[in-house]
Amino acid sequence: MATSDSRSSPSSSDTEFADPNPSSDPETNSERVQSQLESMNLSQPSEVSDGSHTEFSGGGDDNDDEVASANGNEGGVSNGGLLREGVAGTSGGEVLLRAENPVEMEAGEEPPSPTSSGYDGERGSSGGATSTYKADDGSEDEIREANVDGDTASQHEAAWLPGKRHVDEDDASTSWRKRKKHFFILSNSGKPIYSRYGDEHKLAGFSATLQAIISFVENGGDRVNLVKAGNHQVVFLVKGPIYLVCISCTDETYEYLRGQLDLLYGQMILILTKSIDRCFEKNAKFDMTPLLGGTDAVFSSLVHSFSWNPATFLHAYTCLPLPYALRQATGTILQEVCASGVLFSLLMCRHKVVSLAGAQKASLHPDDLLLLSNFVMSSESFRTSESFSPICLPRYNAQAFLHAYVHFFDDDTYVILLTTRSDAFHHLKDCRVRLEAVLLKSNILSVVQRSIAEGGMRVEDVPIDRRRRSSTTNQEQDSPGPDISVGTGGPFGLWHFMYRSIYLDQYISSEFSPPVTSHRQQKSLYRAYQKLYASMHVKGLGPHKTQYRRDENYTLLCWVTPDFELYAAFDPLADKAMAIKICNQVCQRVKDVENEVFLQGASPFSW
Amino acid sequence: MGMASMSSGTESLRLCVFDLRRGQHEGQELDKILFFYPPDLTFSTQLSVIGLSEGLITFTRLFSPEAACEVIEAERHSHVFYEAEPDIWMVMIVEKNKEIEAVWRIDALRRVLKEVHSLFVMFQGSIRALLEKEPTGGLVRSHLYPFITDYLNDLFVGKKQQLPSFRDTLKERGTVQMLTLARDAALEVQSLVGVLDSCAGTVRCHSVILFHDLLVSTTLSPDDTVDLFAFSVMRLTTNALSSGTSSWSYLRKGSGSPQISSRSTTVPPLGSGGTLPSGNGSSTGRVIRPLQHDKWSKGKDGFLVTDIWGLDATPTILIQKTQESFYLLTYQYKSLTLVLLVPIAAIVNGELDISFVKQQVIENASTKILKVEEKLSKGWGGENAYHVSGYRYLLVDNDMEVSRASPPGKVATLAKESLLALNKLREEVDTEKNRSKQEKDMEICIRAKNNTWVIARLNRGKELYMALEKASETLLDATDSVQRFSNRYCSGAFPMD
Repeated sequence: MATSDSRSSPSSSDTEFADPNPSSDPETNSERVQSQLESMNLSQPSEVSDGSHTEFSGGGDDNDDEVASANGNEGGVSNGGLLREGVAGTSGGEVLLRAENPVEMEAGEEPPSPTSSGYDGERGSSGGATSTYKADDGSEDEIREANVDGDTASQHEAAWLPGKRHVDEDDASTSWRKRKKHFFILSNSGKPIYSRYGDEHKLAGFSATLQAIISFVENGGDRVNLVKAGNHQVVFLVKGPIYLVCISCTDETYEYLRGQLDLLYGQMILILTKSIDRCFEKNAKFDMTPLLGGTDAVFSSLVHSFSWNPATFLHAYTCLPLPYALRQATGTILQEVCASGVLFSLLMCRHKVVSLAGAQKASLHPDDLLLLSNFVMSSESFRTSESFSPICLPRYNAQAFLHAYVHFFDDDTYVILLTTRSDAFHHLKDCRVRLEAVLLKSNILSVVQRSIAEGGMRVEDVPIDRRRRSSTTNQEQDSPGPDISVGTGGPFGLWHFMYRSIYLDQYISSEFSPPVTSHRQQKSLYRAYQKLYASMHVKGLGPHKTQYRRDENYTLLCWVTPDFELYAAFDPLADKAMAIKICNQVCQRVKDVENEVFLQGASPFSW
Repeated sequence: MGMASMSSGTESLRLCVFDLRRGQHEGQELDKILFFYPPDLTFSTQLSVIGLSEGLITFTRLFSPEAACEVIEAERHSHVFYEAEPDIWMVMIVEKNKEIEAVWRIDALRRVLKEVHSLFVMFQGSIRALLEKEPTGGLVRSHLYPFITDYLNDLFVGKKQQLPSFRDTLKERGTVQMLTLARDAALEVQSLVGVLDSCAGTVRCHSVILFHDLLVSTTLSPDDTVDLFAFSVMRLTTNALSSGTSSWSYLRKGSGSPQISSRSTTVPPLGSGGTLPSGNGSSTGRVIRPLQHDKWSKGKDGFLVTDIWGLDATPTILIQKTQESFYLLTYQYKSLTLVLLVPIAAIVNGELDISFVKQQVIENASTKILKVEEKLSKGWGGENAYHVSGYRYLLVDNDMEVSRASPPGKVATLAKESLLALNKLREEVDTEKNRSKQEKDMEICIRAKNNTWVIARLNRGKELYMALEKASETLLDATDSVQRFSNRYCSGAFPMD
């Protein structure tokens, strides 16, 4: 069970590995790969980039002392001038999760198998967009086969915690190789910058191998995107001097994995700006790890969001449901703030938008919003005091720092004010004080709390057209609507839906209902949606107009129009004709309540 | 420089075969290479291709020990891997180019590799066995080289190489296309097969009967049938013999004038030039080229003759299932092609006994052959026999390794967008199939941007792919159409509700 005892950092669980599964063969395989890659260049030894990887050959040996800092304490070490105190404060692998949630966890709900955990499919949110964080990281963090290397199931029962785990491992560990999803960031000289699992320094040799693969293909005038092997995909993304790699055996599409690397890169840029490229221009062997020190929690929470937050693949944001007038009122205040020289002002509730406003012509990309809220939500220091720190919005301007004023009104609700001026702290503080006064006066904060408690749209609330129903299915009794929904989600096997408004760049997602209750089921449903999304948006061909897809798990329907996209999941045995009718009713229902679930164009964003 | 020449070269196809167990020591890397196309690339380029492949095989095994690298997708090329035999890899590298319609489905490309390997094993035995027979590798190189180049010739139309692209998405290589028989014809065929079985006295023969390029009957296992069927359609059937004329099977695209072998005469195959540390192939005797073009003709007695195996020598093939060798005799009457496999064990006196078997066929089976041909011709609907108006489809039975599809001429009427959408859908289905261990039961109906419905339906090992261009716009109407097709032509194998 997670507690907010932050010092028992997640990574401390690593100590249970008495033996980090040293590889059986003395020459590690990754070294072999390199030598194979090198052997191709017999005749042109100069071809492999700069050969810098050789300097890492002993990388595995010299880092034992660093393991001690598994708690992430190195975060505060050398943030240089680039990082603000905010990030430094997150060191120590502090558990971001407040004690708010563990109570709700239904740890006994799932068997303590390696792929289960005590995630609670919290209902107080729309489509998991706020489905809080206490979720476990589900199976990705898991080793694929139970008991292969003595990894115990116990740690998997804990709630998801931010920060890095399994720091003991490296590429020689069997357990490390069996992790379901790895993320790596490295420099084009092969220096490790970030690894989801294992200590970066110990992975220097592995990192050099990745670099060798990328540059070998590059030297041939091509660029490697994907390598497939069985259920594994190795996805590559090159961003100037930064290389990003994902190695995954999760059932996700290449397109989505690549999108995840893109977001990971964006998160890094949000912290450092793209001016980092210049450091590499000056010194190819520049070591970036100190600059990112202490940000493990930010990355791990982003990686975690790939499995619960639809915003990561829909490229849209979601709003907390609120009465129209209240949201408008909030928008008006935020707009006033912007008029005083603030670039963007946002009132957020967890990962959902309460309202936001931007200066004239300034538009905020949904991906920036996602990365920004992830950054704020996963950095504990923002919660403890008002903060003013430099951040970069990669989609808005990847080259420049903005300055973010962040203040939490309560555990969930916070304001972010973004400005280009580094001396604006006091002005922004004043803005916040005024804003807070209005919010308190109009009682908005308590309405927000109520909205969280009540949750968003539910499939059970989708109206049933009785007339049509009784005419098509005679056996159905005339029982009242809610009855037929019990335990089976919405009408006629509707389990879940997501509706994305194309003009607003926003989506609304229904609450999870039975039978999609466990975290594993929810994640599996999102994976199915991701595939459907990728299938509908084929590069060069799409978007397709309609898709019906049924397998042993779901019946999925997707409908793309110029105005909106609808994704709906039904029982695999659902009747096709009824499912279509229900989809139409869902769309109608969303239109009926669109003023409450969407932020209506207070300021038109055009991107 | 390294692979750089690959991008500048005009070749849009590379194909190599290499053995990971060879050339493990520095300086001996060339020993790994068993085949490389195009053969005129420098050794350093060849080594760089194989080095990358080997590097990624090793790399992916770190994470996926049970299934190593299957494909590398780069910006401009796809590298398709196939482990033909343990540690013996075939890699095909194709250039992506939307303008020349080089849009591939990886699984279709892998089936090309699989096919060429299966055919090779059928004629020459496994690559590993040849390597064990002659460890320097000269023997296997001298066999692989002409074999694969002859095979690749079939993929060339004029100067253009025609790998299975998205336009071939309604085809399935590695399957057999069957002729549907009326009941009375089926009985005649059965009786003919009985006679053929016992042509060599007490030892049972196998037979494969084709009408035009369609399979009528087989006594072999599905796998062996697929290989022999592929070879027959490539070289033996009446359509194959009159090569250069219209061919509607994907197995036979090439014209009679080989592109590659003409050049191959100028470039010595790897291993024969003495530049390699391995032995050279010249010491291993005459190399047989089973896929050589224009080498088959019909003899006076109705049996096909060729000098590929030498004058008056009868070809032999290896059957996978039993690992037995057979003499291959082919009798042709009009559009009917009978491939008779006589166990080598049954032939004691060489060609003398073979002549006896041939005589037995002519004496005992002639009238039955006439009758079968007559019945089949009467019921023959022509090339478009299996066209179903309004539908463009592909039907695959994985257990039987059988497929049936809309005639290529009809598929060609589909819009490019429809074919691309269907190709993409097939890719998705391939991924799903590869992931799940058991048979998938799934249904995907997509209404593409151009309003075409592209549909995939998998049920109990059978697969149906379809493009409906002029179907009504509702999903229910589209699936009704599929349901009607399934009921009428597939015995309801694909329920759509």
